[in-house]
Amino acid sequence: MEKYLYIALFAPLVSSMFSALFTNGAKKQFVGVVASLLIFSAFVSSSILLSNILNGGEVLHVEMMTWMKSGNLYIPFGFVVDQISVTMMMVVTLVSTIVHIYSIGYMDHDKGFNRFFAWLSAFVFSMMILVMSDNFAGLFIGWEGVGLCSWGLIGFWFHKNIATWAANEAFIMNRIADLGMLIGIFLVYWNTGSLQYHLAFPAMAHLDTSTLTMIGIFLFIGAMGKSAQFPLHTWLADAMEGPTPVSALIHAATMVTAGVYLVIRSNELYSLIPNVGLFIASLGAFVALFAASMALVNRDMKRVIAYSTLSQLGYMFAAAGLGAYWVALFHLMAHAFFKALLFLGAGNVMHAMHDELDPFKMGGLKKVMKGTWIMMTIASLALAGIFPFAGFFSKDTILEVAFSEHHMIIYGVLVFTAGLTAFYSFRLVALIFHGEERYKIFGIHPHEAYKFMLIAMSPLLILAMIAGIFQEPFFNMVEEILGAMEYHIHSHVTVWIMLVGTQLFVGLAILFAYKKYYSWGSVPDGSSAMENSFIYKLLYNQYYIPFAYKEYVMKPYNDISAIMWEIDKKVVDASVDGIANAFYLTGEKTRDMQSGNLSTMLKWMVTGLVGLLSLAAVFGIATRYSDEITTILSGLGV
Amino acid sequence: MEIGLNHYLILSTILFAIGLVGIMRRKNLLLLFFATEILLNAVNIGFAAISHYYGDLTGEMFAFFIIAIAASELAVGLGLLIVWYKRHGSIDLDTMTSMRG
Amino acid sequence: MLEHILSILIFFPALAGVMGFMINKESMRAYGVSVATIEFVLSLLLWFSFDNTVSSMQFMEQLPLIPSFGINYILGVDGISLFIVIMASLFTMIGIASLTETPNVKNMIITLLFLQMTMVGVFTALDGIVFYVFWELSLVPMLYIIGAWGGPMRIYASVKFFLYTFAGSLVMLVGMLFMAYLFYQATGRWSFALFDWYRLVLPENFQLWLFAAFFIGFAIKVPMFPFHTWLPYAHGQAPTIGSVILAAVLLKMGTYAFIRFSLPLFPDASVYFMYPVAVIAIIMIIYTAMVAYAQKDVKQVVAYSSVSHMGVIILGTFALNVEGISGSVFLMIGHGIVSGALFLLVGVIYDRRHTKLMSEFGGLAHIMPKYATIFGIMMMASVGMPLLINFVGEFLSLLGFYAQSHMLTLLAGVAIIVGAIYMLIAYKRMFFGEVTKEENKNLTDVNRRELIALVPLVIISIWLGIYPKPILEPINNSVELVVQTMHNKATTEDAKMRIPNISGVVISKTSMKEDH
Repeated sequence: MEKYLYIALFAPLVSSMFSALFTNGAKKQFVGVVASLLIFSAFVSSSILLSNILNGGEVLHVEMMTWMKSGNLYIPFGFVVDQISVTMMMVVTLVSTIVHIYSIGYMDHDKGFNRFFAWLSAFVFSMMILVMSDNFAGLFIGWEGVGLCSWGLIGFWFHKNIATWAANEAFIMNRIADLGMLIGIFLVYWNTGSLQYHLAFPAMAHLDTSTLTMIGIFLFIGAMGKSAQFPLHTWLADAMEGPTPVSALIHAATMVTAGVYLVIRSNELYSLIPNVGLFIASLGAFVALFAASMALVNRDMKRVIAYSTLSQLGYMFAAAGLGAYWVALFHLMAHAFFKALLFLGAGNVMHAMHDELDPFKMGGLKKVMKGTWIMMTIASLALAGIFPFAGFFSKDTILEVAFSEHHMIIYGVLVFTAGLTAFYSFRLVALIFHGEERYKIFGIHPHEAYKFMLIAMSPLLILAMIAGIFQEPFFNMVEEILGAMEYHIHSHVTVWIMLVGTQLFVGLAILFAYKKYYSWGSVPDGSSAMENSFIYKLLYNQYYIPFAYKEYVMKPYNDISAIMWEIDKKVVDASVDGIANAFYLTGEKTRDMQSGNLSTMLKWMVTGLVGLLSLAAVFGIATRYSDEITTILSGLGV
Repeated sequence: MEIGLNHYLILSTILFAIGLVGIMRRKNLLLLFFATEILLNAVNIGFAAISHYYGDLTGEMFAFFIIAIAASELAVGLGLLIVWYKRHGSIDLDTMTSMRG
Repeated sequence: MLEHILSILIFFPALAGVMGFMINKESMRAYGVSVATIEFVLSLLLWFSFDNTVSSMQFMEQLPLIPSFGINYILGVDGISLFIVIMASLFTMIGIASLTETPNVKNMIITLLFLQMTMVGVFTALDGIVFYVFWELSLVPMLYIIGAWGGPMRIYASVKFFLYTFAGSLVMLVGMLFMAYLFYQATGRWSFALFDWYRLVLPENFQLWLFAAFFIGFAIKVPMFPFHTWLPYAHGQAPTIGSVILAAVLLKMGTYAFIRFSLPLFPDASVYFMYPVAVIAIIMIIYTAMVAYAQKDVKQVVAYSSVSHMGVIILGTFALNVEGISGSVFLMIGHGIVSGALFLLVGVIYDRRHTKLMSEFGGLAHIMPKYATIFGIMMMASVGMPLLINFVGEFLSLLGFYAQSHMLTLLAGVAIIVGAIYMLIAYKRMFFGEVTKEENKNLTDVNRRELIALVPLVIISIWLGIYPKPILEPINNSVELVVQTMHNKATTEDAKMRIPNISGVVISKTSMKEDH
């Protein structure tokens, strides 16, 4: 079995290095094919590992070699394949295989084709390290690795200033969170003596709550950055500057869920500190609503989907925070499928529309892009949580958890957000695929994507439709490790009312979106009453948070840096130079003594002689009468 | 009145003061040599007087040494002075400022 | 030969340098490269014959110089100094091999060989006076390199560099003399040998003063805030090769000396001054990182970033536990490799454009993809990306210091944020965007000579980032000895508590008392 573990882990690395060999050359189709095959082999290996786990096989735990060893610190390159990591591995390898194949078509005309695959496979490798590591340091390798690849991929079109800006923003914001994570790791080490999960978590049971709370909070700060939780969320929307397959893989399906993975992985820790868990759940619910509200009015197709991702991450954190780790993990998986599908569909639309992102400028694309239309509609249905699609099973369980744990505010927020989700998803679908063909004004001739891209997407389509049936086996699999419990609401009537009520609410939201946008006729120009309302502006400007960051964080940082530099030159360095200049000046001033005139110098000599003699005399007298002088001085109070 | 140690020492001090003033005031190199000679001999008087007072010959020995050194110093100094005069036509101190800083 | 390998390592380049005057100008480059390569091979030989399991000094040599004052020529290496010595010879070799068209290339190479002698001397000397002599001698070649081949302000920069560091080391010399005098008072004989000093347990108030005296000498060399202002000038004016060696090796003298002298000699004072020094280190980290961000000249960015990283090294050193000190020693190597490479990279673009202003570049990734890739890897190493060399050291240093103070580590950790900011922004300014300047459109990518210098550094950064064990293990062993020495010598309660007792490390008294 170890063999498969290594294949799953290193096939993406090989793929990345292989593609990197051709980085500087012209586009080569086979690079994409080979990369896809290698990632596919990782997928196959992961499947074998999964079937092994499902058939009751041992949890695989290998230590490849030592990484760091100093003092009492021991960090190996250790990998563990248990129920949690194998789920993540499946999600990562499956989505990335599809995205790789899709990218062959999507990046067809890009001259950075080979480089793209190098980065993309490197990302998969980092993500595999992240989910497979058996210790926090290894997790951190993956954590930073995915951050690096995300930087490289957001800024993939590095001639675009806005793309590289977004890349730097993502990297730096993640770094802020990584500091929290690093501190969390230090805390784990100094309190438990190890960074390996199988030693650290059992040791945590003996620690006092305040330490555990600190560990929990700092680790969660790390998770907040990677999963773009408030207030570190702005990078995710800006990250949409990257190529769309990147958005599908990194900023929807895998990397952003790393934070959720961390919380799930640390379930033993977070079960000990329910207060932090409640905070996580509340923040999750808040972000779910907060992000959904921004998605309502945004006029950038990809940003809408990005906010929806953010909102769904909120759901996952809400579940994980309430202790329903398996539900969070299940929603993570289901979300990966339909959200990746949604993004890839959006990629097709973008291609068709020559990189136009404003859905108001599209409309009526159903006719030319039937396949994409069906896929995006089904993905949106799954996202909205309509029975019997994937989202229904995962999201509804989260609602049930919140309900049965008696967190009614969280429950209410999440139900309301479900309605918003349905609305903005179908606003998008209606605007893009239905109604008048507004794109004609702009002289665009849309066309459907390559057939093989659609075929590549089809597994996601199927999974988005049927992932619900995996709920039962999935629960049985992770039950043991996540201490999972079924959430039972005692009265059957309540359950049915909840289910039907939510479905009705969501359904109404969808209908409302269709009604409002189905036959949209014109491109809004900012003159309508709604567009000038305060709420619209607030939401459209993302609550002015990016503006505030720019104005109150970045600008001051720039200014302070400039001031620091001035200080460095004009205070620190000037004082050093001042000391040196004092010597120079003394020399300069006293050089007149050296007039070269013998007579003057003799005069100075005599002066010096007299001075020394008188000093000698004074000291002589002082020594002789030292007792008296001391008395006088003490009398003066010295 | 018997002439005692103090008188010699006072003489020595007066001579020393004259020499010192001479060193400070004179602008002529030759006169400067005179002044140094006065200084040295002021010290010699002091040495000889104290030597006699204590009945110890060391001081007089020193005086002899000083006389010898002063003579050689003067010989060398005068030689240089003559060379300087031949070169520059003047032994005025104010013209000798090649060591000006 | 092995018993005298350290002396050979020190004096071979110097002798070869003297011989170099007889070589004619055309073959000088080949001569320099071969001498430096032999030196490097010798240093590798030193490594291969080094026993990783021994934590005390190895390859000790001893020769009385002035026995009546206890001044002896004592050499030795342990895990702490070994790799810095190897790095010094590596950079001399790379530096000479990658030397661009320089006027007076002969003098340059001879100077570099002399510099090599002083560098190896500093890191292997185990006698206060011998150490001091090499410490001061190392200034001379550097002064010459900056003063003769530097930029327009070279005289100012070189004089500033010389006088500043010289003034600091004079204070250190006084400290050393006092130390020897104290030894004389205690034992009745003079000794400048480090191992004699190690055995001397000093009262705390003496320790404080001596610590301060040594501190000034070391702090200026590191350079620590607020003594760092000579560095930007030196880097700004020095030719590429000068900056590379200055950043990679010469700065390490200060941090190395902290571990070799300050910590084991004055354990109580080290604990006493731990917080003040840590605060200075944090100021260094954040303040210089912000200053680096404000720079317009890419070489100044690298120069200030170098100061910022030295802050982390200092912090790790003053963690006073094995994790922290091992991390800081490792980071010395890492910082040497990375900042050396970054200065080489800046040199590459300077050779082509004769400017270092970032506003003159932009979009270079289109024209020089290989250059952009190597720069990118080194930049990522510099910001502490895991699996690259700097991360190991930074992680261990911060981890170690966390045992001493939570808050200060949190502040120092800001390094990973601000470090990313200035580096990424600088990278964006230089490499991303469209090519706007006409002059940049026809630049050639890195050539073979530059690749010879850069590729080994890239390989080392990745190799030691993934598999630091070959270096970390001997470092760790020697550091354990240092920490145990400190713990044993500590007199105050606080110091005993803060410096961990490492069970299992037996200080072999014989090895410590080997002299006399």
